[in-house]
Amino acid sequence: MKETKDTARRVLAALREAGADEASCSVTETETREFNVDGGKGSLFRGLFDTPLRMTVFKDRRRGTVGLNKTDDESIRQAVEDCMAAAAAAEPDEAWGLAETGDERTFLEGAPEPELDRFFDRTSELMDDIKARYPKILVEQMITEHKSYRQTYVNTSGAEYTTVGGEYGVSVMFSGHDGDKSSSFNSAGAVFASLDKKLIDLGSIDADLAATEKQIDTLPMEGKFVGTVVLTPGCLGECMDSLLGSFTGDSAILDGSSIWKDKLGEKVADERITVRFDPFDERIVCGERFTGEGYLSEPCDVIKDGVLERFMLSRFVSKKTGFDRLPNGGSAMVIPAGDKTLDELIAGVERGILVGRFSGGAPSNAGDFSGVAKNSFLIENGKISSALSETMISGNLAELLRSLVGFSKETVADGASVLPWGVFTGVTISGK
Amino acid sequence: MLQPLSENLKQYFPAGTAAELRAQLNRSRGVTLVSGNLVGNARSEVSGVSARVWQRGVCGFSSEAELSEDAARRVLVAASENAAFMDRRAPRGLSPLPAAPRGTKHFDREISDPTQKQYVDFLRPLDEYITSHCKGLQSRTLVARADSMEKQLLTADALSGSSIIERSYIYVMMSAETASGAPVELFLPIGGLGTFDKNFTDPSLLYEKIDGLYTKLMQKREGIYPDAGVQTVILGGELGGMVAHEAVGHTVEADLVLGGSVAGPCFGKQVASEKVSMVDFASEAFGKPTPLPVYLDDEGIEATDAVLIDRGILVGYMNNRESAAHFGQKPCGNARAYSFSDEPLIRMRNTAILPGTDKLEDMIAATEHGYYLIDTNNGQADTTGEFMFGVCMGYEIVNGKLGRALLDTTISGVAFEMLKTVDMVSDEVSWSSAGVCGKKQPMPVGLGGPAIRCKVTMGGR
Repeated sequence: MKETKDTARRVLAALREAGADEASCSVTETETREFNVDGGKGSLFRGLFDTPLRMTVFKDRRRGTVGLNKTDDESIRQAVEDCMAAAAAAEPDEAWGLAETGDERTFLEGAPEPELDRFFDRTSELMDDIKARYPKILVEQMITEHKSYRQTYVNTSGAEYTTVGGEYGVSVMFSGHDGDKSSSFNSAGAVFASLDKKLIDLGSIDADLAATEKQIDTLPMEGKFVGTVVLTPGCLGECMDSLLGSFTGDSAILDGSSIWKDKLGEKVADERITVRFDPFDERIVCGERFTGEGYLSEPCDVIKDGVLERFMLSRFVSKKTGFDRLPNGGSAMVIPAGDKTLDELIAGVERGILVGRFSGGAPSNAGDFSGVAKNSFLIENGKISSALSETMISGNLAELLRSLVGFSKETVADGASVLPWGVFTGVTISGK
Repeated sequence: MLQPLSENLKQYFPAGTAAELRAQLNRSRGVTLVSGNLVGNARSEVSGVSARVWQRGVCGFSSEAELSEDAARRVLVAASENAAFMDRRAPRGLSPLPAAPRGTKHFDREISDPTQKQYVDFLRPLDEYITSHCKGLQSRTLVARADSMEKQLLTADALSGSSIIERSYIYVMMSAETASGAPVELFLPIGGLGTFDKNFTDPSLLYEKIDGLYTKLMQKREGIYPDAGVQTVILGGELGGMVAHEAVGHTVEADLVLGGSVAGPCFGKQVASEKVSMVDFASEAFGKPTPLPVYLDDEGIEATDAVLIDRGILVGYMNNRESAAHFGQKPCGNARAYSFSDEPLIRMRNTAILPGTDKLEDMIAATEHGYYLIDTNNGQADTTGEFMFGVCMGYEIVNGKLGRALLDTTISGVAFEMLKTVDMVSDEVSWSSAGVCGKKQPMPVGLGGPAIRCKVTMGGR
C-alpha cells in the first residue's frame, strides 16, 4: 500500500512540476492467480504480477492521458513528458476538469489474500459436480481466478483514495452433447469473496447448465408472430446495458442522437421498472468506491418507477450539456424484483419464447434490435416446451420498456449485478 | 525496440520439455473527435516478460511487468513451479511434444512513433471537410487509432526470434435522420498495416472516401427494410470475410474442436459447395503481403498457411503444437498471445474464402430478386456454426439490377448449411483488418472474402 501511495504522489508532483494546472494519477499493484480447464481437462495455472499506472493532465483546459505499467523513475519521467505533450496537442475546452474536492480515504474489500489450495479444490469440485449432475455437458473452457490489488488514486483537488482488496471469479463456457448432436454454447460466471459455497451454486451457473443440457435436441421455429419474450437475468442485463448506452450515454447525449435526449423527468418505461446502479449493495462484490474523475461513488437510479431520472454522463459531457453527471461509474446494475414467481409469469404466456442469450449487435440509435435467440425455449399455453434453433427476435428497446408484463420474484446475484427474469410483450419472433 | 533476450537465459528452462520466454511491448495511441469535441486523447505502453512451461500436458505460466534478466529468470522459475503444481494436482501424463524446427529467425524492424499532435492535426481538417461538405448530418465522429505489438521470443525446443505487427486506422462515423426522425448511421474504417505517418500523409486523399460514405448514408436515409425470411443474397467481400472468420474460422480452431464444435464430426466431409475453399494465410496471400502478416508464432513455430476447406471439403484445423500432435496435423503457427501477460492461444491470422471466377456485376445481373449486402457492423457465431451478422449497408436487387438501399438488418444461418448453397463466387477478394477478435484475449486479425451468392435468413423488421 505504501508503494502505490508513494508512486502516485511522486507522479502527481512530477506533473505539477511539469506545469499541470490539474492532474490525477492511479497506480495499482495486481497479483492474479488463474486456473484454466480446456476441453474438460485441467490445462494451465497462471501467476501474473502487474503495475498499471494511468495519469491525466489538464493544462490550459487541454487534456492528455497516458497509460503504462512501469513505476521506475525513467519510465515516469518519459510518461509525464508524453502526457504534457498530448495535452499541448489538444484544443482547449472549458468542460475539462476533475472532481472539485477530495480527501483521504482507505477502503478494504473482498478477500485480499487467496486460499490457493482450497480454491483449486473448489475448481476441481465444480468440474466433478458438472460431470455428476450434467453428464451431457462438455466444458469447453473454465477459468477460475483470484485477483488481489492495491490501488491508489490521487489528484490535485486533494483526493487520495486507496483500495486494498481481492476477489475470486469463475467463468465457464460449455455446450451439451449427445453423439454428433450438440447444443449452442452457453456461458455463466460469478465473482465472489468467500470460498464457503460450491461454485456451481453461485449466480446462475447451475440453472444455465441445466437449461443447456436440455437444448441438445432443438426444433426450428416455424413462421412469424408477435409474442412474449421471457428474458433470463443475464439476457435482461445485456439488453438494459445496450439500451442505456444508446439512449443515455456520453456519445448519444453529446451528439444529440439519443431518442431520449428530451425525456429527462418523463415516463419512458412501465412504472414497475427501476434501474439502479448501486456498488454499495451488499450482494455486489468489491463494488467501486470512487470514479476515475475523482468523485466518491454514490448509488443512483437512472430509471425510477418508469421515469428517466438522469443520463449516464461523465463530468465532461455533464459540463458540456448542463445535465447532471452519473454519481458512479455505471457498474453494479440492480433491478428490483417483481411480485410473481417465474413459474407464475410463464404460466401467463400464451405464446412466446424464453431467451437465454441474445446473439445480435448493438441496437441502432433508434433502439431497433434484431438477432438470434440462443439457448432458448418455446412457451405455449403457459408451459415451456421444446428448445429452439434458428429463431430470430426483433423489436425496439424503447417500446420494450413500455410493454413489461412483469419481473420475477426470484433474482440472480452474481456478484456484479442483481437482476430478475423480465417478461415483455410485442416482440417479433420469426423462424425459417 | 525491445532488447533481444539473452541466450544465457536458456539455462533456466526445465530440461526435456517445451518452454517459452517472451518479452513484449504493446503500444496504442488514440484520438477521438465527437461532433468536433476532442473527447479522447490518450497513449499507452504496456510491456513485460512472461514464461510458459509445458509439463506432461499441463502448463505453468508467469509474468511480470518488468523487462530485465532478473524478471525473466523469476518468471521462468515461477512458471516451472506452476506447471509442477498442475502436474501434481491435475495430471494428464501426456508424452513429450513432437520435435519442432529450431534456430533463430528475426522479423522485427524499427518503426516510427508519431506524436499525439500528428494524430490531432490530421483529424481536424477531416472534421472541417465533413462539416462543410456533408450537409444534414445529425452527428459525426472521427477516431484515429494506432497500435503495435513487438515481441522477443526465446524457446527451449523450437524457433527463437523476434516479430512486430503495427497498424493504424481512421474510423469515420456519420449519422442522419430519416424522414420519420429515426436515426441512421454508417461507419468506414480506413487504413491497415503500417504506422500512422506512413498510412496517412495528406487528409485530402481521404475526401473521396468520405464523400462515398456520405452518399451511402443519404441513400440509407431513404432505405427500406428487407423482406424477412430465407432470401437469395450476394454477400460482399466484407461479409464474405465475416463468414470466413466468425462462422467457420472459430469452429475450426482446434481448441474449440476439442471443446465440442461442429467441425469435429464434420472433418473430411463436404461442408460447403465445391466453389468454396478457405485458407488461414500467414504472411502472404495471392502474391501480396497479408493485411496483418504473421511470420513466427509465440510457441516458436514459423507461420505457414493453414488450408481449412478445399473445394467444399473440411480438410484442416488451426492448431498449436499440442493440438497438432493430438490431431496428427502440422502446426502452422497459430499460437498467438495478445499481451506480455497472456499465454499463446490458437488464433486466426488472415482468414479468407478464396476467389472464384464470377464477376460481381454478372452475379447481380443473374439475380432476379434478392439483396446485395455490403457492410457489416458486428458478427457473432456459435460453435455449432450458427451465425448472426449485423448488416448496416446493402441494396435490394430487382430483376438483376440494384434498387433501393436497406435500413439496418441482420442475417443468420448455419455456416455448413449456408455454404452448401453458394453458387457464385466473385474473382476479387476484399480484406479488412480494422477490428480485433475476442477469445479470452483480444487479437488483431485479418479477414477476407470475395462476393458470394447464397441463401441466408434475413431479419427484416
